[in-house]
Amino acid sequence: MAEVPATSTSSSRAGSARDGGSASSRTRRPGLGGRARRARGWLYVLPAVAVYAVFAIWPALSTLRLSFLTWDGVLPATSAGMDNYTRIFRDPALYEAILNSLVLIVFFSFIPVLIGLLMTALLIGRVRTGMTFFRVVFFLPQVLPLVAVGITWRWLYSDRGVLNQLLELVGLDGITRAWLGDYHLALIALGLIGTWCMSGLCMMLFLSGAQKIDTALYEAATLDGAGAVQQFRHVTLPGVRKEITIAGVITTIAALASFDLVFVTTNGGPAGQTNVPALLVYRLAFNEGNIGSASALAVVLTVIVIAIVSAIRFFAREGK
Amino acid sequence: MGKTRFNRRVSAFVAIATLGAMSLAACADTSGPGETTGGSTGDEVGDSAEREASTTIGDEPVTLTLAYTDDPPTQALVDGFTEVHPQVTIETQQTPFSDYVKTIKLAMSSDSPPDIAQYNPGAMNTLVPAGLILSLEPWKDAYGWEGSFPQASLEVLSSDDAAEQFGTGDLYAAPGALSVLGVFYNASILDEAGVSEVPATLADLEEAFAQVQDAGFDALSVGGLQVGGFHVWNALLNVLGDVHDYRDWVYGSPGASIENEAAAEATETLARWVEEGFIPSGANATADSDAQADFANGSSAFLVTGNWAASALEAELGEDVGFFLMPGPTGDTVNVASGASVAYAISAKTEHPDVAAAFLDYLSSPEAARIQFETGFMPVETEADLSADGLRADIATSFGGVVENNGIVPFPDFASPGMIDKLTPGIQGIISGSTTTDAFLGSLQESWDEHHG
Repeated sequence: MAEVPATSTSSSRAGSARDGGSASSRTRRPGLGGRARRARGWLYVLPAVAVYAVFAIWPALSTLRLSFLTWDGVLPATSAGMDNYTRIFRDPALYEAILNSLVLIVFFSFIPVLIGLLMTALLIGRVRTGMTFFRVVFFLPQVLPLVAVGITWRWLYSDRGVLNQLLELVGLDGITRAWLGDYHLALIALGLIGTWCMSGLCMMLFLSGAQKIDTALYEAATLDGAGAVQQFRHVTLPGVRKEITIAGVITTIAALASFDLVFVTTNGGPAGQTNVPALLVYRLAFNEGNIGSASALAVVLTVIVIAIVSAIRFFAREGK
Repeated sequence: MGKTRFNRRVSAFVAIATLGAMSLAACADTSGPGETTGGSTGDEVGDSAEREASTTIGDEPVTLTLAYTDDPPTQALVDGFTEVHPQVTIETQQTPFSDYVKTIKLAMSSDSPPDIAQYNPGAMNTLVPAGLILSLEPWKDAYGWEGSFPQASLEVLSSDDAAEQFGTGDLYAAPGALSVLGVFYNASILDEAGVSEVPATLADLEEAFAQVQDAGFDALSVGGLQVGGFHVWNALLNVLGDVHDYRDWVYGSPGASIENEAAAEATETLARWVEEGFIPSGANATADSDAQADFANGSSAFLVTGNWAASALEAELGEDVGFFLMPGPTGDTVNVASGASVAYAISAKTEHPDVAAAFLDYLSSPEAARIQFETGFMPVETEADLSADGLRADIATSFGGVVENNGIVPFPDFASPGMIDKLTPGIQGIISGSTTTDAFLGSLQESWDEHHG
């Protein structure tokens, strides 16, 4: 079941194809050959495939095509060859942006996975009442639109925001500042918003994975004298291995492709300290009207995301 | 197993590729760039200049469409026009600002574009070389717009055929309402701090800053996260620099440069204001709306922004709020200020160019002036009797002097399409002390050279 959840369309496609297939195999009618069954399977899939092709595959291919053109959105496009790519690779802003998004991976992915595991260890098998409450509370950030989350955090972090009021309350007046405006700390402050958003998602995934674990394993472990920590290490952790991979993949993509959160909180500032590649794509396309270079940058970003996600999946693969 | 993994990989690939593509999907409409209609070279521009212009629009019922983003004043102006000419119906299509510039270019190049479109000469200038909007020269002559619109406001909307250099060539749009950048102040805070007069020089202003600071208030609210930071810089540059140098640079005149003494002085003045604490350390994390809110709730004494904020500030602060132009180093009257206009252009594909031009002409009428002023803008017809008092009178008086002196200049982000992405981070660097004056001005000039060089 370790589907990459970002591909919800394709997993539902796979699901419906499978169901369609198994249903007809159970009630196999005489004369209905394999080919007809397969055709019927495709029929089920068709609406999803059509939507996916038009709204996902086609725009992706368009982006690829645009990346080799010089186009401002109005005048006829002309061929640019590799110019767009050479231009963006020469721009130091790209490397800074990529570096920033790698830092964001720590906050969007690494820390949330750890927090998610910790929460799972605390909740699984112990909390009987109020589980729904915990789930709702921790999953809430995922449900809220990121733009609203961003604006709220911008206020929390502001000069006279709640965070600084709390710090003053405990006597830490000396360190208060407008956190998102601090040249050195803005990226970390931004990353922590990501941590807040992603931790609940990780916890949800791990909890659902941990609930599949046969309780007999825990009983056996208890009989063998394993404590809570050992149980977690030897029973829970291997049981949620696949979920950890999924969580890692989703959150890493969120970090690398982050746009909305950055756009509303810092817009890359102060002085470019929180620039991320997607923000540069946006500026090239919509501020500078340089759609060719913007597309090239989007393609590069896609390649980076695929490379990093593939690496995660490679290292997390079953050791067989 | 192998196969499902492969499928997963493929679907993962496609899904991820989509992420990158999503943001661009909006601008690549189904026709694609290859088939862009009406995408001709500049040749057609010349033809349209020979079009015959008429200043009468007949009694036949005519329906026009108008695409716009700024309201007020657009809808009120349209209503005012159709009241005068009941045979004309104008259907309006409003798009939020963030989407407008992106979608209007495609709309204008489609087969059925709006007859009139709100026009931003910086972001939308590709419409000129594409031949998608009309040169207004015939109507300018027929109506005598040179006399009825402020000269500087027409300059910004004029450009060469390639739309790279402004303030020259044909006119492509007419201004419907004007804005001006200046300093708002909170009179009761100034009273409390013992500042008895509106600062007349830069030194007076800095002294006033220090006094309100001593009284426990913030001197300035600055929205450094967005445009507020470079608006302060811009206002300083307006009074410290030579207006011709600045205008040449913003208009893209060959050889112009921002790496000059006046710009350095403006940058260093801003840096000094940060050092003195006049500009709060949290400015870089403050959005324009937050800065305006801070000023409106009485936390700070001054706010540098445009008159578009006037009605909101008046509603909050009532008679306490006043307005003056950034004072110069000497006590002389200041006649230069940045400003922009809500302008409208006519589609090259319209069937009723004369009717559309009549709407543009209406914008300079005294009736339109009243609508523009009531909706919080500065009127195009500056001689209209507006009988204003309080804040509006402050703004109108300051603005009148600027117009008389032909002193409206564009905002600096007008100089090149990517300039705003140099200005905001650059000023943030100055505020956080991480960028030098030279590096800041150099980055601006780099963007300028890339576009004009």
